[in-house]
Amino acid sequence: MTQAAPTHLETNAILEDLFIVDTDVHVHESPGELAPYADMPWRVALENIADRPETYLDIPSFSPGVSDGSYQAKFPTAHEGARMVWTKEQMRTELNQLDIDLGLLFPDHLLKLPVLTQTDYAAAIARAYNRWLVDKWTSQKDGLLGLIVACPHDPQDAAREIEKYADHPEMVAVYLPCAGLDPLWGNPKYHPIFAAAQYHELPVLLHSVTVTHPVFPFNNHGFDTELARHTTSHTFSIMVNLVDMVTRGTFTRFPRLRVAVSEAGITWMPWLMMRMDKEYTERRRDVPFLKEKPSHYLKQVYVCTQPIEEPDDLGDLVKAMELYEGENTTMFASDWPHHDFDHPMKFAQVPFSDEVRRKVMGENALRFLNIDRTGRKL
Amino acid sequence: MSGTIKKSKESIQAEDTLVRRGTGAFLEATPLPPAENGRKRYRVGGPEDFPDNSHRVVDVDGRQLGVFHIKGNLYALPNICPHMTGPVCEADILTGSLQASDETDWKPEWVHDGEVVVCPWHGLEFHVPTGQCLAFEHIRIRRYKVTREGDDIVVEI
Repeated sequence: MTQAAPTHLETNAILEDLFIVDTDVHVHESPGELAPYADMPWRVALENIADRPETYLDIPSFSPGVSDGSYQAKFPTAHEGARMVWTKEQMRTELNQLDIDLGLLFPDHLLKLPVLTQTDYAAAIARAYNRWLVDKWTSQKDGLLGLIVACPHDPQDAAREIEKYADHPEMVAVYLPCAGLDPLWGNPKYHPIFAAAQYHELPVLLHSVTVTHPVFPFNNHGFDTELARHTTSHTFSIMVNLVDMVTRGTFTRFPRLRVAVSEAGITWMPWLMMRMDKEYTERRRDVPFLKEKPSHYLKQVYVCTQPIEEPDDLGDLVKAMELYEGENTTMFASDWPHHDFDHPMKFAQVPFSDEVRRKVMGENALRFLNIDRTGRKL
Repeated sequence: MSGTIKKSKESIQAEDTLVRRGTGAFLEATPLPPAENGRKRYRVGGPEDFPDNSHRVVDVDGRQLGVFHIKGNLYALPNICPHMTGPVCEADILTGSLQASDETDWKPEWVHDGEVVVCPWHGLEFHVPTGQCLAFEHIRIRRYKVTREGDDIVVEI
C-alpha cells in the first residue's frame, strides 16, 4: 500500500501532535569529564589523558579501536559524521527541534566499553559514567532519562551498579554494551546482571557499534569498506546476541525481564524468527529448556527503529512490522546526534495507521520503560 | 496537555537547523518586478556577496535557497534535502566524488571536483550544476534560475 508522502507542512503538524519518546540519544562523555567521578587509582589515569585531542568515538586508553572508517582512505566531505552533544541543555534544545518529548540517554565512548581489555579499569569507567550521568545529565523535568551501564567485564560489579541506581527516579533501564563483546550476552557469567535487572524491574537495552576487533561478529577486517563493516557487524551483533540469549536460556531463566535491542533497524526480525524456528524443528534437543519455539521469545523483544530502513515503498516497513508482529514492540529512536540519525519526519511518511504511529513513536516505549508521559517511573 | 514536556514551535525551515550555524547568517532577498512569464524575481545580493567558488544560503521570502558560484557559473538549489529535510546547502565545503566504470577499468576516479554538495546530515551527494543525486538516479533536486544582471544577482522562483 502506498500513498503520497505528506508535505512538510503536514509532516510538522503530525509530529507536533504526536507524543514522541526517543529511545536512543547520545551524551558525550570524555576522560576529563569522568575523572572527578572515578575511583582511585583510575582517576589518575583519566586525568592523564584528559587533554588528548578528541577523535570521534576513538580515544586511546579510553575508547580504543576504530569505528569511524579510519581503516580506509578518507576523502573530503561535508557530512557531519562527528556531531556531539555536550550538555543536557544542548540535548533538550536539539530534541525540541526534532519534536521529541522524552529522550533515553546512551553514551558515546562507552559504546565501545567491551573493547577495553583491563577489567578493573573498564568497571571503574562504568561506575564513573553512571555517577556522572545522574549528576550532569539525567533530568525528569527536561525529559532526559538515563540507562545504567552494565560493564560486561565484571558482572558482579555491574549487578551492584544496578542495585545502586535501581531506585533513582531518572535511571530507568540498563544498557548492555555489545561492540567487541566476548562472550555474547547469553553466557551464564552475565546472570548476575540479568538477575539484578529482573529483580529491580528494570528493562535492558542491547546497543552495539561497528568496531574491528578479533571477536565474532567484529572480525570484519576482510571487508574492503566501512559500508560493508557497518552493514554487517553492527546489525549482526544484535542478532547473534539474541540467538545466544535464546539458545542459552536467558529468556526462560529470567521470564520477567524486558529486553530491547537498538541500532539494528527492524527488517531482520522476521528473518531471525523464521530461521530460528526452522532450526528448532530439527534441534530442539539443543535447547530443552525452551517451552515455546524461539520466535515466541523473540516476539517479546522490543526493537528500536534506528537506522530505519528506507525502501522505495515505505509501506514495506508496515509489512515487515506485521511479519514480526511488532505493532506493540517497535519503538522510535533517532540516535541523535550520530551520523546516521533518523529524523522523526520519516515516520510521518510511513503509512501506519494513526494508532500504530502513536504506539511506535511513544506509547510502546512508555510501556517498555514503565514510565508515564512526564518520564516518571510507575 | 498537563505534565507533558513543552516543545518549542519551530518554523517550517527553522534557522537553527541542527547544523548550528549562526542565526541571521542568511542574506535576505528583496523582491523585484516579476518576470514576463509571471515568475517572481528577487535580488539576493550583489556579485561581491557571491564570489567565485563559494556558496551561501539566502532567505527568499521565507524559502531558503543555496546559491552556488562554481567556476564562473551560478546555480541555486533549495536548502532542503529530499532525504530527511536536512540543510543540504549549508555544507561547509564543496567537493568532488568518486566514480568507477569499465571505462576506468573499475578503478575509482575523482570527478566533479568542486561541484558536489554533500548533505551535512547523512552524507547524500548532489551534483550542483544538475541537481542530480549521485546515489539514487531517480532523485534530482530542482534548480532555480539564478543570473547576474549588472550589480544584481537575481533568482527566479
